[in-house]
Amino acid sequence: MTTPGVTLTPGPSGPVTPSARASALDRKRVKYSEAARRRSASRLKLWIGAVCALVVIVPIVIAQLLPLADPNAQDLGDRLGAPLVAGHLFGTDQLGRDLLSRVLHGGQVSLAIGVLAVVVSGLIGVVLGSIAGFYGRWADVIISRLLEAQLSLPLLMMLLLVVALFGPSIPVITFVIAIAQWPEVARLTRSLVLVEREKPYVAAARTLGLHRMLILLRHVVPNVFKQASLVILLLLAQAVLLESALSFLGAGPQRPFATWGSIISDGQDYITTAWWMVTVPGLFIVLLVVGVNLLGDGLRDRPRRTKGLVALLKGTKR
Amino acid sequence: MVYVLKRLGQGLLTVFLTVSVVFILIRLAPGDPAVAYAGPLATSAELAKVRTQFGLDQPVLVQYGTFLKELVTGNLGTSYSFQAPALQVVLERLPFTLTLAFASILLAALVSIPLGVWMARRTDTKKELGVNVVSIAGQSMPDFWIGILLLSLFAIVFPILPASGFATWAGLILPTVTIAILQVALISRLVRREMATNFASPYLTIARSRGVSERTLTWKYAMGNSAIPVFTALGTRFAAMLNGVVVVEVVFGWPGVGSLIVRALSTRDYPLIQATVLVTAVLAVAVQLLVDLAYPLLDPRVRLGKANAS
Repeated sequence: MTTPGVTLTPGPSGPVTPSARASALDRKRVKYSEAARRRSASRLKLWIGAVCALVVIVPIVIAQLLPLADPNAQDLGDRLGAPLVAGHLFGTDQLGRDLLSRVLHGGQVSLAIGVLAVVVSGLIGVVLGSIAGFYGRWADVIISRLLEAQLSLPLLMMLLLVVALFGPSIPVITFVIAIAQWPEVARLTRSLVLVEREKPYVAAARTLGLHRMLILLRHVVPNVFKQASLVILLLLAQAVLLESALSFLGAGPQRPFATWGSIISDGQDYITTAWWMVTVPGLFIVLLVVGVNLLGDGLRDRPRRTKGLVALLKGTKR
Repeated sequence: MVYVLKRLGQGLLTVFLTVSVVFILIRLAPGDPAVAYAGPLATSAELAKVRTQFGLDQPVLVQYGTFLKELVTGNLGTSYSFQAPALQVVLERLPFTLTLAFASILLAALVSIPLGVWMARRTDTKKELGVNVVSIAGQSMPDFWIGILLLSLFAIVFPILPASGFATWAGLILPTVTIAILQVALISRLVRREMATNFASPYLTIARSRGVSERTLTWKYAMGNSAIPVFTALGTRFAAMLNGVVVVEVVFGWPGVGSLIVRALSTRDYPLIQATVLVTAVLAVAVQLLVDLAYPLLDPRVRLGKANAS
């Protein structure tokens, strides 16, 4: 299993002492420095993520306000125009349409599908996950089995099938992406609810004669909701990627605007003459997804409470 | 033994659910397969003949019953567009997809395990943060986009590798690398997490104090305990990876199952779609089953019967 090029033993020069090495050090100190590093790393991730995501999202949202050509206006005299030439910032495509305008308007569709899909899958996931976690028994068995079955399947083929059968309209694609994503939310919610339902307040509420469903709705779900919602950003990133893959394979929405995947798919035929048709929409996807992923990562790694950190700081003084 | 049977039953249930969902979806959908088969210019007599030929004039439940019966005997109907048994058409393409899938997971494992270990040794340092961010970027790129970029770079700008198809083994390189990039990003993060947990645990400190070399500590002690989660992840990633394989096959014109299903979808070739979905589902379930059954090889503490209880 050894691979050349990877040094396994830390060199004498590097400051790369693994944390476990520091057995001679005060344990709290090690913990503190790690926490501090993690804090700054998570802050860095949050910043980079926010910048990347906003660079993509802001122009998309205000696309209608920007002085852009009509994304569907063809100009056959100006086909495959290079970027920065003749007033097209990112060039034109095979029908002389302005690529920037197409990417931004297509982005509106992609983003709308992504957000909607996350909302729908979040709803399904929270409902089914909390039912499985709270009621247990056969409800848990059915939902968990369903979840496992879905996770162990290569789902993309099924999704392609559904889109091919029911047509590539925005509602169908949104639904399909939501179906692909609910297991993640459901699994997380289930595990959170499992912990939550053993807490004393649930028993107290039951003793007071509150109906089980009311306990779940009024007390348990609001308590786990904040934690479960952290996964939303990661889901949004996946939804955007999935939508682009579907439209690349020809199963994306065609109206009102072609989305990023299908622009890339068109561009593939002109890769030798017009590199920008593939590169530009791809970069938009990458920037957006990296940004959203970094935000999600940063939020997750962020130290939960400042109170804990203060306590740690006090503890190190000794 | 009971455990094996139980896992087998679960796998079969998954496959059965898949097949049923596919069947229901196809029958629910608008669009007439007879029209798709006979062409838009067919007369109603010709359409009726096609319907009888493929049993499309039967009630849906009867069709479902026939379908299940045929399924057990391994007969998945005749592909409309290939005029050959659907299962056979899919199985002919399967070796190509399998080659690609296993080459990718092998490459991903070879790169991501050392990378993950490297990251675990340097948790929360600047270098590690850098690699971490790069791996986030790696999992944020659409695989088809990476594929097209690699293709244009290594097949068009520097024509050193074949662009598409499977004429030579060199044709395997680009699609494999494309698929592996995402997997490396995901698996290396997992390896990092597992190894970091083990590096921080007391047993390793004790072993170190007894003079066990760093190399043995890393690869034998820590890796031995990280192996199971990582191995499980490799198994569960397999199903997700098949998704990537579909897309990447289309990019590179790979003659596998992925490009087959895209074609079958455009021609509404229902038996072929069913066969493809079924075969890939069986494949994914089988791989997962094998991974589960291999646990005791990696961890002598796990006895199959005990795993059953949890």
